[in-house]
Amino acid sequence: MPDLTPRPAEPMPSRRRRRIGPILVLIAVVGFGGWVLSNLRTAVDYYCNVDEVGVRDGCDADRRLRLQGTVAEGSVVASTTRTEFDIEFEGVSVAVRYAGEPGGIFNECIPVVVHGVFDSDTEVFLGDRVEVKHSDEYVSVNDERLTAAEESACSPSA
Amino acid sequence: MTTPTTSRSTGTRATRVIGIAAIVMSAWLSLFGLVLSPADVAQGDAVRIMYVHVPSVWLAYLAFIVTAICSVWVLVARGRVPGVDRVAGASAEIGVVFMAVTLVSGMLWGRITWGVYWQWDARLTTTALLFITYIGYLAVRGLEGSPEQRARRSAVVGVVAVAEIPLVHWSVRLWRSLHQEATVLDTDLDVDIDGLMLFTLFVGVIAFTLWFVWFVLHRARVMALAALVEERSLDEALAERAAEVPAGGQN
Repeated sequence: MPDLTPRPAEPMPSRRRRRIGPILVLIAVVGFGGWVLSNLRTAVDYYCNVDEVGVRDGCDADRRLRLQGTVAEGSVVASTTRTEFDIEFEGVSVAVRYAGEPGGIFNECIPVVVHGVFDSDTEVFLGDRVEVKHSDEYVSVNDERLTAAEESACSPSA
Repeated sequence: MTTPTTSRSTGTRATRVIGIAAIVMSAWLSLFGLVLSPADVAQGDAVRIMYVHVPSVWLAYLAFIVTAICSVWVLVARGRVPGVDRVAGASAEIGVVFMAVTLVSGMLWGRITWGVYWQWDARLTTTALLFITYIGYLAVRGLEGSPEQRARRSAVVGVVAVAEIPLVHWSVRLWRSLHQEATVLDTDLDVDIDGLMLFTLFVGVIAFTLWFVWFVLHRARVMALAALVEERSLDEALAERAAEVPAGGQN
């Protein structure tokens, strides 16, 4: 027969103790979140810069990449079936061959992200998608600083 | 039982003034956004989408912050502040609408400038996550329970969910994104935007803020009326049931 003798009740945790639990959980969640954020850097970064190919973790030349650089001035050659141009960043340049006509506000001196792979023989980057990465600057078409802005447009800043 | 008297409208003189001001500011926004403000040197007329996109996301943030502040109040008062709880809910609802406007206008802007409607980069993904979180918050508000239970439960979600806003805002700094960095809320104080564009943006922020206040006031009052109707229906049902029972008898 089970022992049915009344036992002394477990003391209720104090209000302070009851509050410590959720605070500890909150600290653990925030700490874990911070750790995840700091370690997700290369996994979450949307693109590799041109100068990072083969240098940065996750930017290996033999895998599919999203490559960011500024379209070099005077490099765009468009035909009916494809568009060829160079993208550059921090003094490093890569030739891009894109099968089609890039959309958005694609132009020379504008930063773009090209999705594709390197041709191992020619080292040309074969893009199958081009996305234009516009800057956080907004300049009026009537602005007197327009000439200066156009002149500096080819200086990569991102 | 006293029957509470209620107005047939959720409007007051204050809401009417706010409503008229919102309409006037929206007209100003249309004038400046579509006619007077200049096109951008790189984006052309596509930049005009900014006057809807940016104010709507700022107001969504504000709405969710209001929800969080009210949620803290609800938790401190242990759910016994129904008016504050209704403002939390109303603000979240309007915030979700503003966030939807942000996502749709951003997609249209992205298609014109980037060349794509959507990409799963850090900013766009965290924004979508914020939107879904607050839809979840609204779902939690609809769960069963007493008004106090529902208020406390949703208040916990309202307080936790607001922590996503800094993540969304800083995502373009934490990670590389297709989305550009902040122009006006730039912590480097390097605000590089044409003066008339900036002015138009602030006209948009004022117009959207007035709409936000107007919608929240009306929605919170509609919620109060709905609660009143629910309470009155319950009272009436109890009274009907009591009338069915013969005096001194059992049924």
